[in-house]
Amino acid sequence: MTAHMRQFGTLLGLILIIVFFTVNLPDTFLTARNLINVSQQISMLAVVAFTMTIVMVMNDFDLSVGSMASLSGIVAAVLFSMGYPIWVGVGGALLAGLVGGLFNGFLVAVIGILPFVATLGTLTIFSGTAFLISDGRTIFGRDIPAGFSGFARSGIPLDTIGLEGLKLPYLTITGVIVLLLVWIILEQMNFGRRLYAIGGNIEATRLSGIKVKRLRMGAFALTGIGAAIAGLMYASRVASANPTQGAGLMLDAIAAVFLGMTMGKEGEPRVLATLVGVLILGILDNGLTQMKVDSYIREILIGAIVIAAVATSALGRRR
Amino acid sequence: MPSTLSFNGLRKSYGGAPALSDVSLTLAPGRVHALVGENGAGKSTLIKLIAGVVPADTMTVTKDGAPITLNSAGDALAAGFRFIHQELNIVPQLSVAENILLGQPGATRYGLFVDWKALSQKANSALAELGIDDIDVRVHAGGLGVGDQMLVKIASALVRDEGAEAPGLYVFDEPTAALSDTESEKLFDVIERLKKDGAAILYVSHRLGEIMQICDDVTVLRNGAHVITTPIADTSRDEIVHQMTGRELMDGYPPRIQSIGANPVCAAKNISSAKLDQINFTLRDGEILGVAGLSDCGQTEILRLFLGLERALAGSLTFNTSAAPRNPVQAWQRGVAYVPRERRSEGLMMTLGVRQNTLLPHYRGLFANRRAEIEKTRGLETDVKLKAVGPDQVVHELSGGNQQKVVFAKAIAKNPRLLLLDEPTRGVDVGAKFEIYSLIRHLSEGGCSVIMSSSDLPELIGMCDRILILHAGRQYDIIEPQGMQPGDLLATFYDHHKTSELP
Repeated sequence: MTAHMRQFGTLLGLILIIVFFTVNLPDTFLTARNLINVSQQISMLAVVAFTMTIVMVMNDFDLSVGSMASLSGIVAAVLFSMGYPIWVGVGGALLAGLVGGLFNGFLVAVIGILPFVATLGTLTIFSGTAFLISDGRTIFGRDIPAGFSGFARSGIPLDTIGLEGLKLPYLTITGVIVLLLVWIILEQMNFGRRLYAIGGNIEATRLSGIKVKRLRMGAFALTGIGAAIAGLMYASRVASANPTQGAGLMLDAIAAVFLGMTMGKEGEPRVLATLVGVLILGILDNGLTQMKVDSYIREILIGAIVIAAVATSALGRRR
Repeated sequence: MPSTLSFNGLRKSYGGAPALSDVSLTLAPGRVHALVGENGAGKSTLIKLIAGVVPADTMTVTKDGAPITLNSAGDALAAGFRFIHQELNIVPQLSVAENILLGQPGATRYGLFVDWKALSQKANSALAELGIDDIDVRVHAGGLGVGDQMLVKIASALVRDEGAEAPGLYVFDEPTAALSDTESEKLFDVIERLKKDGAAILYVSHRLGEIMQICDDVTVLRNGAHVITTPIADTSRDEIVHQMTGRELMDGYPPRIQSIGANPVCAAKNISSAKLDQINFTLRDGEILGVAGLSDCGQTEILRLFLGLERALAGSLTFNTSAAPRNPVQAWQRGVAYVPRERRSEGLMMTLGVRQNTLLPHYRGLFANRRAEIEKTRGLETDVKLKAVGPDQVVHELSGGNQQKVVFAKAIAKNPRLLLLDEPTRGVDVGAKFEIYSLIRHLSEGGCSVIMSSSDLPELIGMCDRILILHAGRQYDIIEPQGMQPGDLLATFYDHHKTSELP
């Protein structure tokens, strides 16, 4: 298998999936309404996956993003229920993401715990904290300000470009902004290029006079903030906060980055490739739901596809 | 039954560059045959060919006149060849007995449970064959000293099926590199025993002292070619060194034209650290100081003092009239550049491009400036004579010599004040070596001070203004090597008399 086929195999897979659903769902799949819907559905996963890419560039990863997303939603909702304004709730949630991410980075970079163990530990800590401060209940109803839950339901009207009655959701726009920021951080800033150097060879990077510990902590902090943003988006979308609602995000986000890594020249994560991974997962989910495929079978299919893509890439790499 | 092994017409080229050209070798039972040569002379290629792990371009092998094939590691094993490498591939978490019998079908009870008693017995008898009775086979192998670990590995090479023939050839590849003197002596006893049992032994080492002591014959390689094979009794250490280095290579070092500057750039006063003792020197601008001694006796640590990686416990260390950098970040910022010993694990990000590798320590500001970087990389590629397709070629696609040039490009990109070189030409071909020497000379003439550690003696003599000799971390002497022979320099590594003769 040539390097090109391997690199573009995953992109080809995405196109095939789109063609498949277009043929099988001729009336509902390839419509503006459905595509906008998909973009909104995947926006939370996208934000987590994009920021997860930042740590995975360094060969690290973060298992705690799902419970951080739950915690961030709870922090915002608890602050709302205490009567604080929206900006305080949002700020508090983002602060939780920053502090939690820095704590992960501290454990990994300064103490020297393997990311798997460190973030498995914080996964439980963040989740437990979410239960503790919410008393294990779902916070909803009058506690959630209308301005906050309204964000997820509104968007920029698209009447001017001929799509009557449709709006480009703010959630989608948030996802695009995060994508752009992460792309700038990783591809255009020296910060990101140093992260790629750490991923290439951490010892050589340290010996080249790079502040490896500080950079790793910074990267984990960004991933934590990304998880917190996703948690806020989720809470806004369902107008409530529940201490488990972010739980599913972590595995899908890692799967999306892995799917994207199959497209890297040297198997390295790239944020635009992560986008392809997110689209594959999101479109599969949307299309299979519309085709009334059982949700358990959906899970089996998605797992099989991730394994198949990464296996093909691994086999192609062997020479 | 002891047998004579002949290896004839060994040839091997890597990408057109000959690593070994028509070398022949005959190994007789009961004799220890030394294989010597400088780095890159073809010793390791030769070992890889006879181990069957690298296919030869041409090679015929006969055992008592009958041809045998060596196309795989399995063939070499079946032919009774055993290899003991300098890196210890033991599994530290397992017991000594398990390590010795690793790769053997284990003794079991009912085909299911490990039969620990039988395992211990087998391991003990393997050790007994070597005359070793002071290693407990039940302890963790990782807890043993390096010397004992080496013996465990030899014991595991000895293990064979019931009734199978004893191995006919043992190849030792720099076995004493990590051993102390007493540990080495223990190893020599074992080799003596193997020899008495009628095995042929091929012994590869840089240490001429031990070769004179334990070997019967010696073959010298230079630049992939056979120089001479002779009984040890008919030669001398100086002669071997002369044959290894050759005359013509001595002319291959660019001479100093400018004289050394007057300003001290860095200085060590009575420095002691975990591995160093009583280090004293002052380095002026443009001066090249060599650091030499037997392997691993503090060379790397002296270099790392100025990176802040080796902590001085006593004494004072200055760089540019103030205290030396406390960590690599400060070091690079203040104009110290480092070429580490292991370029793959310490020097390069193998999956990234030339540009990202060379400019990593030199990124400034928030955003990358692609165009300026490409221009800068192109300039550096010219400076170090790098042969790459472009500034973004991935480093693992380059040859060893070109990879080393990338490490150099990274070090010289910002005109360093002090260049620290650890084995700067290790695993580099002769042509690239000369280009690296010219580069070092050019930098030194431009006022950059250099500290370089090397196990390549002619290189130290050819390049250095002074050489600091280390004996197990302690500064023994600083010498001016002009006009010296490699043998004279080597002698200073072993020289214990001079200290006692001094008043």
